[in-house]
Amino acid sequence: MSEQIEKKPFNALEHIKYLYTNHTYIFSFILLLVIMLFINHDYLSFTSLSTLLMQSTIKGILALGMTFVIISGMIDLSIGSNIAITAGLGIVLLNRSGSITLMFVFCVAFSVFLTAVIGLFVTKGRIAPFVVTLATMSIFRSIIVQLGQGGPFNVASSILPRFRVIAAGSVMKVPNMAIAFIVLTVIMTVISTQTKFGRYIYAIGSNETASRLSGINVNRVKVEIFMLMGAMIGVTSFLFASRMTSVTAANAGMSYEMDAIAAAIIGGTSFSGGRGRILGTFFGALSLQLIENLLVAAKIPPFLTGLVKGTIILAAILLQSKKESKKA
Amino acid sequence: MNIDLRMENISIFFGEFQALSDVSIDVKSGEIHGLLGENGAGKSTLMNILAGIYPPSSGRIIIDGETVHGMTVSRAADLGIRFIHQELSVIEDLRVYENLFLSKELTLKNGFLDKKEMAARSAELMRKMNLDINVGDYIRDLDTSRKQLVEIAKAIMFEARLIIMDEPTTSLTNKEIEVLFDLMRNLKKSGVSMIYISHKMPELFSVCDKYTVLRDGRFIQSGEFRTIDEHGMTELMVGRSVVESERSAVTRTDEVVFEVKGLSCGDFFRDVSFSLYKGEVLALTGLFGDGRAELSEALFGARKVTSGTIKKSGAHLPIHDIGSVMRAGVGMVPRSRKERSIFPDLSILNNASMAYLAKNRGAFFADRRDDQRRFGEMVKLMNVRYDHEDNFITSLSGGNQQKVVLARWLETDADIYILDNPTQGIDVGAKFEVYKLINLLTSGGKSVIIFSSEFPEIYRVCDRCVVMYKGVINAVLDRNELTEIKMMYYSTGANLEAGTRE
Repeated sequence: MSEQIEKKPFNALEHIKYLYTNHTYIFSFILLLVIMLFINHDYLSFTSLSTLLMQSTIKGILALGMTFVIISGMIDLSIGSNIAITAGLGIVLLNRSGSITLMFVFCVAFSVFLTAVIGLFVTKGRIAPFVVTLATMSIFRSIIVQLGQGGPFNVASSILPRFRVIAAGSVMKVPNMAIAFIVLTVIMTVISTQTKFGRYIYAIGSNETASRLSGINVNRVKVEIFMLMGAMIGVTSFLFASRMTSVTAANAGMSYEMDAIAAAIIGGTSFSGGRGRILGTFFGALSLQLIENLLVAAKIPPFLTGLVKGTIILAAILLQSKKESKKA
Repeated sequence: MNIDLRMENISIFFGEFQALSDVSIDVKSGEIHGLLGENGAGKSTLMNILAGIYPPSSGRIIIDGETVHGMTVSRAADLGIRFIHQELSVIEDLRVYENLFLSKELTLKNGFLDKKEMAARSAELMRKMNLDINVGDYIRDLDTSRKQLVEIAKAIMFEARLIIMDEPTTSLTNKEIEVLFDLMRNLKKSGVSMIYISHKMPELFSVCDKYTVLRDGRFIQSGEFRTIDEHGMTELMVGRSVVESERSAVTRTDEVVFEVKGLSCGDFFRDVSFSLYKGEVLALTGLFGDGRAELSEALFGARKVTSGTIKKSGAHLPIHDIGSVMRAGVGMVPRSRKERSIFPDLSILNNASMAYLAKNRGAFFADRRDDQRRFGEMVKLMNVRYDHEDNFITSLSGGNQQKVVLARWLETDADIYILDNPTQGIDVGAKFEVYKLINLLTSGGKSVIIFSSEFPEIYRVCDRCVVMYKGVINAVLDRNELTEIKMMYYSTGANLEAGTRE
C-alpha cells in the first residue's frame, strides 16, 4: 500500500476533492464566511471571530453531546428543559452557599443524573429515546416552573460580580466561553476517535445487533452516552447562568435542542446513525451562529430569520445527502 | 410470453475499476440459465445492467432481435423483466396481497382500493404456486422462507418474460425449494425464461438447462449442464484446481472442553446435551424449525435459557452475558452477516477490531497501531483482498467481508469457536479458505462447533454431527457413519414418525 501512495504525484485538486467529500462542513462554513465578508469587509478580524466563537459556545457545547447521541442512533429532545431546571436550581444553590465551585459541581452532577435516568428508561424500559425525552422535556420544564412559581431565578447581587465574570471574562483577549468550547471540542474529539467508548458509539449507531453480538454492553454504552450528554448540559447550564445571571423558568433554554441537532447535522452527522464527526459539529455550530449574524448584518427582518435559517439548513443537508447517494 | 435475450460484449467501469469486460450471454425462450461465478465475479453487476440499474460503458442488450438503447428500471419492467434480489424487498408492515400489488393497486370506480379483488387474485396465485400462505397476513408475521416465497410470487404476479433470481433459496427449506423448482419448471413450459444465480451446485444441476460462468469480470464459458459435472464446474469458477481441504488429520483428543447439559429455551429447544472435545469439529444440523438458530445464540449467551448449564473446561460458563462468555474463551461468528456482523458505517479495520476491544476490558483508549498489527496478522492468515484498511467494509465482496468477520473473532483468541452458517452467501474460493481455517484452528488445539445445513460442508469439516429435529437432539453421528441419507433421515424426524405410527 505504502508504495502506491509514494508513487502517486501530489495532486492538489484530488486533495481538495477528498476534503470536500469528507469534510463538507468546512466548505459550507467558508462559503458563509465569504458571504459575510461581502456585507462586512472587516469581518475577518480576531475580535469578530472570537465573538463568533463565544456566541456559538452555549449551543455548540450542547451540540457536541448531541452528536454522540445522534451517531448512536438516539435523540434527546429534553436538553432545553434540562438546562432550565439545572441552571435554576444551580442559582438557588449559589445564592444559599455562595460557592461558585459548588454550583458548577452541582450543575454537572445534576444534569448527568437526569440524563442517566433517561438512559435507564431507554435501555431497561425499552422505550424509544424520542418518546422518553418528549416526556422528560415537559416534566423538567414543569418542575422548574412550579419551583419558581413562574418567575425568574436571579443570582444574588452579592455574588453577581464574581459570578458574571466567568462568562464575560477572557484570557489574553480570548473569551472564557470560547476557551470552554474549544477545550470541550478537543476532549470530545479525542473520545470519539481515540477511545473504545468512541468506537462503540459508532458501532451501536451502525448496527446494534452486531454490536451486542460482538460483546459490547450496548445498554451500558447507551446510558453512558446520555450521561456524557448530561455533562455537556451541566457545563452549558453553568455558563448560561453566568451569562444571563437570571434564568426564567418558563422559557430558558427553550428549543436549544433544535439548534443542537441542527448544528450536528450541518456538521455532517448522519441522522440515521453511524456517521458523524465532532469537528464537523464544531463547524456546524459556528455556521449556525454565522447564519444568524449574517441575517442581522444583512438587515433581514427579524421575523424572517427563521425562514432563511431553515432554508440554509435544508440546503446544507441536501448537499450531504446527495453526496451519500453518489457513494452508494 | 417469449423472450430472446442477448447481452453482447458488455463492459462497465466504476471509476477506474473495470467490473465487467466484454461479457456476453444468451438466453432463449423457456430456458433456465444458471449464472455462476465467485462473489465479485460480476454476476450481480451484469444482472443490474440488464435490469437497467447501471448503464453499461459499452456493449449492447438485444431483446427479440432489437437493440435496446438506454435501458432503465421501468423500461426493463415494461419488457417483462423481473428481478428477485437476494435481499428481501417485501414490506414488513403490509399484508401479503398489498405487497403483491404494491404500486400496481387495483381500484374501484370511486378511486378506493379494490381489496377484495386484489386478495382474491393473490389467493389464486398462492393456489397455483401450491403455497399455504394466507394473503391477509402481515409480512412481519411470516417466517423468512415465506417472505422469500412472497417475493417470488410478486415477480410472477404480473406478466413476466424473464425472471432473474439472485440466490432465491438461501432461506428456504428443502421442501420449499422443491416447490419453487416445480414452479420454475411450470413457468418454463409456458415460455418464461429465467436466469438463476446460486452457489449451490446440486440446485443448479437439478433445475438449470444452460450455464454461463464468469470470473473476475470476464466471460469464461457457456454450455449445457448435461455436458459438465460439479468438479469441472468448480474448476471453471475458481480457475485453478481446487485444493481438496477435507478434514485431513484427526486432531480430536479425549479432553472435554465444552459440556452442555439439559439446555432448554421455551418452545425453541428442549433438554439439549452434548460434549465437545479439544481439537474437535462438531457440526450441528437439521431443517428449518429445529431450534438450531436459537441454540447457537444460547451457547454464546445471546439468548436467555429457561434451564440447563454449560461448562467450559470444567467451569460454569456465565451464559447470561455475552461479554463474560467471550472472556471465558468462547467466540461466535453469527449467521446472516449483514444483519448480525457488519458495521456498514465503519472501516474494514474498525470492523475487524471490535470484538477484541470489547473482550479486553480495562483499557480506555483504542490503540490503532495495535489494531493494525492484529489485523495484519489476520490478513496473512486468511488472504483478505482489500484496497485500503480505512475503506468502508461495504466496499468488499461478501467473501472478503466474511473473512473480516472471522478475523474479528480470531483476534479474541478463543478456545472454542461457534460458527453459525459461516459460509452463507460466500463464493467457492472463500468457502474453501474457511474450511482450511477450521483445520488450522483445530490443529492448534482449538475446538469448533459449526452450525450448517449443507451436507457437503458438514462432511468436509466435521468429526461428529449432531442432528436436531423440532428442538431436540435426534441423533449424534460419527464421521464414519455420516451419509447424506442418514442426515436427512434424522433431520426430517423419519425415525420418530415411524415410531408413532405403530
